[in-house]
Amino acid sequence: MTEHLISPGRSDRLATSSVRALLFLLRARAVLVLLLLLILFSALAPSFLTANNLSILSKHVAISAILAIGMTFVVLTGGIDLSVGSVAGLGGMVAGYLLTQGLPFGGSVHYPGVLVAILIALAVCFAVGLLNGWLVAKAGVAPFIATLGTLYIARGAALLLSNGKTFPNLGGVAVRGNTGFTLLGQSFLLGIPLPVWIMLVLFGVVALVAAKTPLGRHVYAVGGNERAARLAGIRVPRVKLVTYLVSSLCAALVGLIIASQLEAAHPATGESFELNAIAAVVLGGTSLMGGRGSVTGSLIGAFVIGVLSDGLVMLGVSEFWQMVIKGTVIVLAVAIDQLQSRLQAKFLPYLLSASPEDAQ
Amino acid sequence: MCRPFHFLAATATLLLIVAGGCHRADMSKPLICIVVPSQDNPFFKIEADAAAARALALGYRVRIDVHDDDAYRQDNLIDAAIASNAAAIILDNAGADSSIAAVRRATKAGIPCFLIDREIHADGIAKAQIIADNDQGARVVAAEFVRALGPQGGEYVELLGRESDTNAQVRTKGFHAVLDGQPTLKRVSAQAANWSQSEAFQKTETMLQAHGNIRGIISGNDTMALGAVAAVKSSGLTNILVTGFDGSPDALQSIRSGSLRATTLQPAVFIARLAVDEADQFLKSGNTGKPERQIIPCDLVTQDNVDDYADFEKVR
Repeated sequence: MTEHLISPGRSDRLATSSVRALLFLLRARAVLVLLLLLILFSALAPSFLTANNLSILSKHVAISAILAIGMTFVVLTGGIDLSVGSVAGLGGMVAGYLLTQGLPFGGSVHYPGVLVAILIALAVCFAVGLLNGWLVAKAGVAPFIATLGTLYIARGAALLLSNGKTFPNLGGVAVRGNTGFTLLGQSFLLGIPLPVWIMLVLFGVVALVAAKTPLGRHVYAVGGNERAARLAGIRVPRVKLVTYLVSSLCAALVGLIIASQLEAAHPATGESFELNAIAAVVLGGTSLMGGRGSVTGSLIGAFVIGVLSDGLVMLGVSEFWQMVIKGTVIVLAVAIDQLQSRLQAKFLPYLLSASPEDAQ
Repeated sequence: MCRPFHFLAATATLLLIVAGGCHRADMSKPLICIVVPSQDNPFFKIEADAAAARALALGYRVRIDVHDDDAYRQDNLIDAAIASNAAAIILDNAGADSSIAAVRRATKAGIPCFLIDREIHADGIAKAQIIADNDQGARVVAAEFVRALGPQGGEYVELLGRESDTNAQVRTKGFHAVLDGQPTLKRVSAQAANWSQSEAFQKTETMLQAHGNIRGIISGNDTMALGAVAAVKSSGLTNILVTGFDGSPDALQSIRSGSLRATTLQPAVFIARLAVDEADQFLKSGNTGKPERQIIPCDLVTQDNVDDYADFEKVR
């Protein structure tokens, strides 16, 4: 093997580079699938590749992308947050309640402004995140069970707020000074819908935190090996708590955006959204075991799901087939994920021996 | 890590919440169980409330349960009603075929069942099946859709309800009985939005992108229609007319403001009260005095007559 180290043979070099290419393709699979879908739908649906449609498409993607971005940290620590859909519903309902019913205050009803209503809605969802974090990090409840519980609690709370009814007309009334809520989901900045900007800003912040801050390192460490992380002096419960808070706040934003888009808050909003978010995270290559994955992957995963569902709607494919196709893509993506890690493990010693200068 | 105090506090809070949610009732009165699909849809909520109010007024004790369109859960609720020795069951069922066994079991246990809103595919088991005429309702709203689009017709899209729901199928059949006879009308796309407003919003936005000449959107219920109205608005388009089905309070408001063209009102309150009245009659005399199947027509609601209706009933 020492000859190889000095000067690998021609055939070996060829094999090495093709293995590298294969591994690269497998690693970039989400991007490839996305490109493939974009090309496919552009060819089949004439109005798919128009600026207007891409803007609407990204607005739809923003919903599951914001949830997925928030969920990524949770999954990286090896947890899961099933409550995000319900929390989104609760966030919209709290804002809807404040904007249409107001707060009884000293005998008269006081209507808070839009910003206050949004902040209170975020605060309520923050409390749900706090409960999730406390249950998982301090009480030691399994994340699946803890967030399943809060899924029901948050949904029930949303239903109790309106007794099951919808809060319509969230546009506000000028006399009450609470107009402007619709801007959140319906306005544009530099020709791009505001929800898309919110998605991009959140992505930037969370990606930066993941890559450049101690907190980001700690999240990966906790997911990689919780015991080792604790022994290394990382305050594991606090890291976990923060991840659930981030997830709940992202969910609250989604609820507010949807309520603003529809100008109505419905207590059942967000049902099964958690599954879309988990699918996006997993499609992006984040391992449900924790410790491995990225926020960028989740964003791309959300785009894959969004492009797929919007493209199929444009082609007029029936709902039943849409479900079958979506499920197939998710399962295939995760199967390839497994294949990649196995191939990587198998070829690693070979690649290392073939080109020591690259394997630092 | 273990903090007994925290757990104690959490448990105490939980018990307080549960205690707050319980109601007291006079246990000596006969019980009427009202089972409906959900309480987060104003239609079922108002239906259940109307039945409960009438039963309370007639001197019964009332319990409202929700089966979430899950036939298994409905089975358990019927068992619970049998176990609580209910006098009668008012049921908005979870499926025309999957509910037959549950209704039969209750009837065998001596509890008469009165079905509202949705029928079952069996006769002689339930004491009454009182349903709104979904087919006729779909036809009148489709006729209004055709009339509003005018002689030049054009392209339209359809929003379908949950495809496993009987009423979704009856409604789309009723629509097409009218629409397919119109040579100028062309359905360019149809998507299931599962009765959901946010799903209808996204799918309509996408369909409006795919088809540039859409003039109308016909929807299987009001929540989807309102999602379509929001999508039309966000796309900056005008002159696309939208119709719904159900006559929900929110839809009536949109008709008043002109953003929704028409809907058809299901007389849910009337049906719920009628079912309780017939149950009362049956418990007192052993007979409802009516045929088992009773079909109540729906009313077309447009801007001309919208003020005659509120909360699923004719008020004027």
